[in-house]
Amino acid sequence: MRRSSTLSRIGLHATMLVLVVWSILPFIWTFQTSIKFTRDVAAKEPVLWGYETTANAYRAFWLDEDDINMWSVLVYILVVAVVCLILGQIGRRVRHSWPWFTAAVGVIFVALWRFPKVWEVNDEYDFLINSIVVTVLTMLISLSIGLLAGYGLARYTGISGAVILIVALGFRALPRTAFVLPYFFGAKEIDDWLNSSGVGSWDFPLIDFPGIDTLQILDTRLAIVLALVAVNQPFTIWMFRSFFMEVPKEIEEAAMMDGATRLQAFRRVIIPMMWPAIIATGLFTMLLAYNEYLFVRVLAPTEWTLPVAIVSLTGGESSRTITEAAAASVSITLPIVVVIILFQKHLVKGLGAGAVKG
Amino acid sequence: MSTVTLDKLTKVYPNGFQAITELSLTLEDGEFLVLVGPSGCGKSTALRMIAGLEDITSGDLYVGERLLNAVQPKDRDIAMVFQSYALYPQMTVAENIGFPLKLRKIGKRDRHEQVYQAAEILELTEQLEKKPAQLSGGQRQRVAMGRAIVRRPALFLMDEPLSNLDAKLRVQMRADIAGIQRELGVTTFYVTHDQVEAMTMGDRVAVIKDGILQQAAAPEALYENPDNVFVAAFIGSPSMNLYEATLAEADGDYLLRLGDQTLAVPDRVVAARPALRDYLDQPLVVGFRPEDLEDASVVPDHPDDQRLHTEIAVREALGAETLVHFAIAAPSVDSGDPDALDELGDEESSRCTARFSAATRVRVGDRVRVNVSTERLHFFDRKTHLAIRS
Repeated sequence: MRRSSTLSRIGLHATMLVLVVWSILPFIWTFQTSIKFTRDVAAKEPVLWGYETTANAYRAFWLDEDDINMWSVLVYILVVAVVCLILGQIGRRVRHSWPWFTAAVGVIFVALWRFPKVWEVNDEYDFLINSIVVTVLTMLISLSIGLLAGYGLARYTGISGAVILIVALGFRALPRTAFVLPYFFGAKEIDDWLNSSGVGSWDFPLIDFPGIDTLQILDTRLAIVLALVAVNQPFTIWMFRSFFMEVPKEIEEAAMMDGATRLQAFRRVIIPMMWPAIIATGLFTMLLAYNEYLFVRVLAPTEWTLPVAIVSLTGGESSRTITEAAAASVSITLPIVVVIILFQKHLVKGLGAGAVKG
Repeated sequence: MSTVTLDKLTKVYPNGFQAITELSLTLEDGEFLVLVGPSGCGKSTALRMIAGLEDITSGDLYVGERLLNAVQPKDRDIAMVFQSYALYPQMTVAENIGFPLKLRKIGKRDRHEQVYQAAEILELTEQLEKKPAQLSGGQRQRVAMGRAIVRRPALFLMDEPLSNLDAKLRVQMRADIAGIQRELGVTTFYVTHDQVEAMTMGDRVAVIKDGILQQAAAPEALYENPDNVFVAAFIGSPSMNLYEATLAEADGDYLLRLGDQTLAVPDRVVAARPALRDYLDQPLVVGFRPEDLEDASVVPDHPDDQRLHTEIAVREALGAETLVHFAIAAPSVDSGDPDALDELGDEESSRCTARFSAATRVRVGDRVRVNVSTERLHFFDRKTHLAIRS
């Protein structure tokens, strides 16, 4: 290939720089807003440099007390993050990584559980928990179904398989708004039946959900998860199918000749080859569930997730809530940014072709 | 280790395509049987039926006394080496070889020992901790072998295991695989389209065409006494020359009319094949191998009436021998091998290949006399393509 001239290289870098600034500027602006005092945010001339910083907005959004030193909260979060990173890094290097990854998940769980016991929190903390529960459940269910269905559809070559795939793609192509009302009314029908038949208020002997008196669908995390799984499923099935198509059939045949059942061949030979695909598909599913606004707003009038909570802050005229909305935006974006940075290598690997070829 | 019996195995695909028709074969304990045939002849289907990866439409498959038709692949006690090796990319060489043992819940210590033994046989001990992607083609092939031999199965199946290797390595692995098989004494069913592999490796070679078994015999027997035109043409390289000809009797001597030439056929050749007398003055198929032809100037003391007269069209000096091609004015015979090169001939004349000794001085365009070892002629029925013998 001909070596590009200095001029064209400068041009290329300049273009990239403009694009980077263009994409990152709104985020920087939001971050600045979140750490300013209200007077600087509301100033007639934008205060870009040398303003006094504060964590008031973060405190106001998350916590129910005014006299907490936000440094202690930051240290708490950083300690948890560093412990998890260390566990994760150990897990990546040792032979049996599952105990380490499980430990990291456990640390996050304990940290989230202890946080409200240490500091008084606002309702928004519940919305964070909702966000996490909805995201994790949607990922687990979507990936499990997607893996099995994608595998089946990759190996089955009959006409009905093709029909299923094309129908799935068609549903994926429809606008999300088209599904919201049917889901809402469907859920409402079920709730009405649960109420009128009395099933909803049965006292199940073994299943005892704390804080839940009656069974219902609307306004629960379950409703959000079910709806998100349904709209996301075509995507995961197509993704996994295309990855499974790249796994030569001989590999599972070899496993079966070696003495494995079909399920053992799938679990012990095929799945380990699929990790890049699982991570890539998982990240996309995570983004979808974590960022979902419309379904949550309609199906769960009070059990919000964070995007809905933020929007409720930006509607007002008060500049105080603007700093709060900025603080909320930053704090819900950061975990996602961290996860993406951690997994971006796998993401590229998973999206690149031939990732699973031997 | 046991005998394997295929009794009228038949495979018909759902779309009606009949891949295998009543294949019957018996493999003796410890025998190395090679199933050879042109591409698309159903040989891999036969192998996959034995493996359990394809259903058997009809017929029975026994290993020892056990009927395997409805047994799951994992329970058949059969190991298979795939053409693509099908190694598990995320596992090390040791884990790949040990996988069948792990599935059989063999303890870690025993497993390591058996994997190491297999690796020693295959000279893989240095590579045990590497991943398949770090290995060369030949090493990957040996890992696939290792996965098969580590569990000492009743039967090895090998599906063209050498076809992804380069020519030099293939020759070496050919000998290695045959050696390992002899050492372990495991009954082996080996599929290939390469007749050289079949001839060099097999205790017995079964030739198959269009899903129908043509002949199963020891390599020498297959070469010396092919049952039909297809086997005659398929086994041997370069192929046997096959033409339509007529055998006539004149004054008590037998003459073979091959186009515009005649060859004297000694009495004992006909005497050894009594049935040949029924074909007198009728068209039949005659075949002679390239090595049964020789430059008359190299071997001058050959009966003059057992010579062909022709003009050299192509000459290929291979060092130890020289291949020459010339035209014979007789119609050639289609052996039915789809892989065979199209004959460079027409209705009246066809190509003939001869293997001359290196001492020959013939040049392209020379008019030469070619000695024919008439003792070694092969005769076949023109319609049925079956050998004319007794």
